[in-house]
Amino acid sequence: MRVPPAVAEGSDARGTPGDASEDNRRAVTTPPDAWTFRVDDLVKRFGTLAANDGITLRVEPGEVYGLLGPNGAGKSTLVKQTIGLLKPTSGSITLGEHDLVADPDAARQLCSYLPQAQMPIEAFRVHEAIELAGRIRGADMTRVRRRTAELIDGLELGEWRNTLGTRLSGGVKRLVGFCMATVSPGHLVILDEPTNDVDPLRRRLLWDEIRGLGAQGCSVLLVTHNVLEAEKAVDRLALIASGRLVAEGTPSSMKAADRNQMRLQVMLAPGAETPDPPAWSGSAVRVGNNLVTTIAEADASSGIAWAAGLIDAGVAEEYALGATSLEDAYIRLTSDIPTDGLHGEP
Amino acid sequence: MASLDATTLTTPFGGVERGIGRWGRDYVSMLHWHLASLRIWLMTIAVVQVLSGVGFVLGISLFFSHIPVSAALFVTTGVPVINLLIVGLILGPQLVAQQRTAGSYEYLRTLPISRSVTAAAWYTVCLFTGLPAMVVSLLVGQLRYDLPLHISPMIVPAVLLTSLAGTMLGYALAHAISAPMVTQLVSQLLIFIIFGFVPILYPITQMPAWLADLNWWFPFRHMAVVVRAALTTSPDAAVPTAYAVIGVWTVVAAGLAGWALGRRP
Repeated sequence: MRVPPAVAEGSDARGTPGDASEDNRRAVTTPPDAWTFRVDDLVKRFGTLAANDGITLRVEPGEVYGLLGPNGAGKSTLVKQTIGLLKPTSGSITLGEHDLVADPDAARQLCSYLPQAQMPIEAFRVHEAIELAGRIRGADMTRVRRRTAELIDGLELGEWRNTLGTRLSGGVKRLVGFCMATVSPGHLVILDEPTNDVDPLRRRLLWDEIRGLGAQGCSVLLVTHNVLEAEKAVDRLALIASGRLVAEGTPSSMKAADRNQMRLQVMLAPGAETPDPPAWSGSAVRVGNNLVTTIAEADASSGIAWAAGLIDAGVAEEYALGATSLEDAYIRLTSDIPTDGLHGEP
Repeated sequence: MASLDATTLTTPFGGVERGIGRWGRDYVSMLHWHLASLRIWLMTIAVVQVLSGVGFVLGISLFFSHIPVSAALFVTTGVPVINLLIVGLILGPQLVAQQRTAGSYEYLRTLPISRSVTAAAWYTVCLFTGLPAMVVSLLVGQLRYDLPLHISPMIVPAVLLTSLAGTMLGYALAHAISAPMVTQLVSQLLIFIIFGFVPILYPITQMPAWLADLNWWFPFRHMAVVVRAALTTSPDAAVPTAYAVIGVWTVVAAGLAGWALGRRP
């Protein structure tokens, strides 16, 4: 897992947009912490419901920061307050020296935003939509055209370059939306479920591009449900539930409680009764025909024998034993949160 | 992976850009955005506008065997008002309602473009999609009825203000009403009211007195007054008042739209 240079070195010299190239080193002279994104004790109430209930977090330039949480946890509410669509009940949101709550115009200029809904590009050709988005963000057209070509190549969208939005699949449209949001990225790039509808191959390319934004000094605030893929892409992440930040850290630190544990996944035969898990395993969760549990590394051979026995008995069709993932930590951390306490996102 | 050049950032060195220079540049960008967004429909809109305008002008002769010149003049000089209102007042709110339904409305609100820029660019689109139909309607009316048209320079402010008022009213409806279904219903209702109960295509003297009085408080009757006065030689003492009423409605509608667009619940 990559850690942003500024954080890894424990230095005050934060990564600033562009510190990856010689040219940009000459151009960017921002002081330390100039573009740190801070959310302090943020509260947003809709009537009596607290969609955000005292959230505090900090994202450094160059950092890809994941926001994870169940539906209705308050992630989108946080994003909408950042970009100026909602006003906090209390608390502050700042980007460097700019108060994004008091100055939503600054928020729109300094932040790029990919919303969860599709972009309105039905009447646009792909390259035109991306270039126009860059132009609207005030960037020089020569650079916008070059960056557009790079994004189209990077995400392998070349065959749709001149295709109208009405003829694009949902996944390609999603990627074009990503390009529009990042053709001229702000200091903070907010991506709300960027991988929705995207095929596995291009999802991998998309994660590379997101990592690229962080590597060049943008702060990236990534809202996603895709826990397994986020694990590989984020530097740090926060888990939000019931409007509160319930856990924060690197993916490794989040998984620390699952150290020395393994994930045993058994694909049950259709219609099979759920077998009782062994006493030495953790609690088991069945989703569809998948039965997932955790076992200690020392019990790996016993776990394999148990799963193989289920196959022999015709109860299961196959099994997989592997390292625990962030998803296991996610389930563990959210399992104590009563779902009836979750607040709706507007 | 594409390499990112930090100098493509909107504000590479931290300053938030404001001022007239940015306004002009953004205006061109948003004009491009609006025109490109409508490109599939632009030709259709223009054709429908021309056909509906010409249809009104010629259609009146199908109702009656003999059309007095004064009646033909009234219809022909009223049609331009309809042409100028259709896109801004009727189509605009419906487009925004569609954006709300599709979920793209919020994205457009997060673009780093001021409200006045977006409104000015949309006004330009509304004005120039109404003008061709207006010109064709007047030409057809002149050819068909040999009308005593007299176009004065006052046609410029009359057209500009009529289109601006219609656009701002549509803008206010579109952005102040958050329920797309309600917006669609209101715009449909407006078509019904403007064609049936506003003295644009027929004299106000043919209306019941109470309806004529009610119309005084709304801008549409006054739009017909200023446009018709600029297309004919007949003096009309109501023109200054008409400009004032349209102006007040324009300011109020623009203020309401600005408030709605800046609102953060």
